[in-house]
Amino acid sequence: MGLFRKRFVSRESDGTYTIRFPEHIRELLVALSGQLDSALHQDDNPDLARLFPTAYANDPERDAGYQVFARGELIEHRREAIALLAETANKPSVTEDELTSWMHVVNDVRLVLGTRLDVGEDSHEVDEDHPDADLHELYHLLAAVLSEIIDGLSSALDDEGTVFGD
Amino acid sequence: MSDIETLEIIEVENETITDEDRPWKVIVWNDPINLMVYVTFVIQKLFGYSKEKATKMMLDVHEKGRAVVSSGTRVEAERDVKRLHTHGLWATMEHDE
Repeated sequence: MGLFRKRFVSRESDGTYTIRFPEHIRELLVALSGQLDSALHQDDNPDLARLFPTAYANDPERDAGYQVFARGELIEHRREAIALLAETANKPSVTEDELTSWMHVVNDVRLVLGTRLDVGEDSHEVDEDHPDADLHELYHLLAAVLSEIIDGLSSALDDEGTVFGD
Repeated sequence: MSDIETLEIIEVENETITDEDRPWKVIVWNDPINLMVYVTFVIQKLFGYSKEKATKMMLDVHEKGRAVVSSGTRVEAERDVKRLHTHGLWATMEHDE
């Protein structure tokens, strides 16, 4: 990675985004989104806890009500993002909606992975012979991918926080 | 200001303030997984804040453990919490004290 490397995600004047992720990263994202899609069906999977947070921290009764309607909507939203990523993963250029779906999927996978690896504030990279070394490596790789996507999407926000063209 | 207008104001002031009328605040909590740039981006995008304001809120989340990102009625706060949950942020809502 050179000092003046080209960005992996760059916004074009027509509002689309040119994607320069290599083939193996695109394939990885599709594979991971498929695994996330399967996992969303598992009600009792503790790794999914961060995907469905508590809304009313001090009121379990109200929170139960929130979860009843929100959980289904959150699952539906995630399925739509997964489907859109799968459709567009090989495209050289994507729309803002499509890139946003990539962002959602990558972040959701990081949330699941981070929960499974019990990542904490003081977590550091693990040794190569650690039993979860591969998952840790994946976790950090996805952080880099997500940063590139956010870099691209952020260029559409001006200082007032509004999206150009809206 | 006419007398009629004055009367209307008094009536509004005398309305009973119920528990539900008290404003709710939406809080984003620190978590070790979400990237700082991601938290800033989501807060900026969802609430239309400036990059500077969103960054300050993100730093409060990171350094103080939490930040209030919006407030309003229960319905408004619940809507904001759900938008934040859709983006994978750890957000809760509680009554403004």
